[in-house]
Amino acid sequence: MELIGHGGKPLVERVITDKAEAKKKIQGLKQIPASRQMATESIGMALGFFSPLQGFMKRADVDAVVQKMELADGTLWSIPIVYDISDKEIAEYGIKAGDSVLLTRNGNPMAIFEIEEIFTYPKEEIAFKVYGTKEEKHPGVARTYAYKDKFLGGKITLVQSPKVREPYTQYFLTPRQHREKFKSLNWQRIVAHQTRNVPHSGHEWLMKHAYIAAHGELPVESMEVMGKAISGVLVNCIVGEKRAGDYIDEAIVLSQDGLRKYGYFREDIHMTTMTFWDMRYAGPKEAVHHSIIRANLGLTHHMFGRDHAGVGTYYDSYEAHRLLMSIPKEKLFVTPIFVLEWAYCPHCGEVTCIGLCGHWKELQKFSGTKIRSILLDEVKPTRLIFRPEVFDIVMDAAKKYGFGSPFVTPEYLAKAAPAFSFEPL
Amino acid sequence: MAETFPINIWINEERFKALQDAGLANMLKEELAGMKVMIVPCTEPQRDKILKLFPMAKYDAATTKSIELLPKYVKDKLYNMAVKRKTLNVMDEFTKGFEQAGDAFWNQDIA
Repeated sequence: MELIGHGGKPLVERVITDKAEAKKKIQGLKQIPASRQMATESIGMALGFFSPLQGFMKRADVDAVVQKMELADGTLWSIPIVYDISDKEIAEYGIKAGDSVLLTRNGNPMAIFEIEEIFTYPKEEIAFKVYGTKEEKHPGVARTYAYKDKFLGGKITLVQSPKVREPYTQYFLTPRQHREKFKSLNWQRIVAHQTRNVPHSGHEWLMKHAYIAAHGELPVESMEVMGKAISGVLVNCIVGEKRAGDYIDEAIVLSQDGLRKYGYFREDIHMTTMTFWDMRYAGPKEAVHHSIIRANLGLTHHMFGRDHAGVGTYYDSYEAHRLLMSIPKEKLFVTPIFVLEWAYCPHCGEVTCIGLCGHWKELQKFSGTKIRSILLDEVKPTRLIFRPEVFDIVMDAAKKYGFGSPFVTPEYLAKAAPAFSFEPL
Repeated sequence: MAETFPINIWINEERFKALQDAGLANMLKEELAGMKVMIVPCTEPQRDKILKLFPMAKYDAATTKSIELLPKYVKDKLYNMAVKRKTLNVMDEFTKGFEQAGDAFWNQDIA
C-alpha cells in the first residue's frame, strides 16, 4: 500500500531486500567508501525518514533550501542533505555525472548511488542562511565548513537493510513500521517528543502536556479501559554523532522507554523509537527538519519546547516556535504543539508549568547542568524530579555501554560500536 | 564579599548522616525538590588551577555559575576531606595533595 509522507508525496522506500537481486545489481560498479554521516543520511533517505528526498540533493534543491527553505519543487525543507567529495576522490574513482556507483561502509556494500550531478555551492552561504551565522564555533557551521569542495547529487538505493545493534534493535523502526505500529495501537493522534536527553520529570510533564493538547477534542471514554487509548506519545530519540559530554545514546533510548516500562506512562499511550540523524543544532531550521521526519513517521503532532535544537546563544528561546507559526498549514504536515517549561515549585510541592503557577519567585527550574551534576555524583535524586527506576536504567547503561559514565567520554568515542552496520552480501 | 566559583557536591542520605556528625549539615543548601548539595567554595585562582588540573571540567558561567563535570572520584575526595577537616575550605589542601602525589592521591588516606 502506498503511504503518503511529507509534502503529500509518496513515502520513499528504496531498499533492495532480495540478496540475489542486490548482488546482481552491484556487479561491476565502482566502489566508494561512505563516511559515517553519508551512511547515516543514505539510510534516512532510502527508508523514507527524509521523504520526499530520493537521494542526495542536486544544486537546484540545495539552492532552494538555502534561499527559500524549500525544495526546488516547492516542498518545505530546511536543511541541505548533501554528499560531499573532493576533486582528488572524483579523479581517483573516475566519477562523472551519469555513473552509478556502489557506496560501501566498512568495506561492505551499502547503497547504489546514481550520480546525476557534480556541483559546487558556497559553504558560507549555506552556513549563514541555514544557521544564521558564519561562526565556526557553531557545530552545524563547523560541519558545513568541513564538507569537501564538491557535492554529488542523485538517487540512493540501499542494497540491504542496516543491521542495528543492541540495545537499539527493538527501537529502530522504519517509517512504514512506525505507521503499522500506530495502526495496531489504534492511535488516531500521535505527538512527537524530540529528545537527546535522559528524562527528568520536567520532560515527563512536557510529554503529558503535549499529549493532552494533541488529544484535544477526541473522546476520552475508551481510555477508562487499559489498552483502549486512541492517541499516543512517541519519543523519537535522535541517534547520531556524539560530542564529549553528551548523554550516551544507549542511556537516552533505554531511560525514555523506562517511563513506559515502569508505569509513568500507560503501556498503550507511550512508545520510544529512534531516528539516525546527526544533530545540526540549527534551532528553528532544525525544528522544521524534525517536523518533516516526524510527518514521515506518520505522526500528527509535534511538541516544540523552549530553545528547540539550539546551541549557545545563537537563537532566541522561542525562535523555533515563531518560524513554525509562520509556515502555512498546508506546507507543514504535522500540527505543532508549543510548550512552556515545567519546574518544581516548593510551595505547591509539585512539578508545575511555569505558565500556570503563581509562585514565580520560588520556582526551581530543571537545569540540565544540575541534573548532569547529580548523575555524575551518582546520587539518586528525589522521585519528584527524576524517577528512581529511570536513574537505575541510566546508571546500568553507563556500566554496560558507557565505560562507567552515562556521558560520552573520549573512551566511548574511541571504543563504542557503531549503532548500525552493513554485512557482506 | 569576594566572588566564589563553587563546586557542587550532591549529598545522599548516607553522606548526610556523616555530615551531621561532622557538624557540617547546616552548611548544606537545598535545591531541586529538597535535594541537598554541599557547596565547596573556590577563589578565582583555585578555580583556574582546578580547571587546569582536570581539563574535562568546565566553569558554567551561563547558568549555574559553578565548576561542573568534575569526575566523581575528584568530588568524592573533596567530600571526604571536608568531612575529615570539618570545613568546606579544603581546596588548597586538595590541589596541593594532587600536585604532590599525582594519581596516587586518590588512594591515599586523609591524615
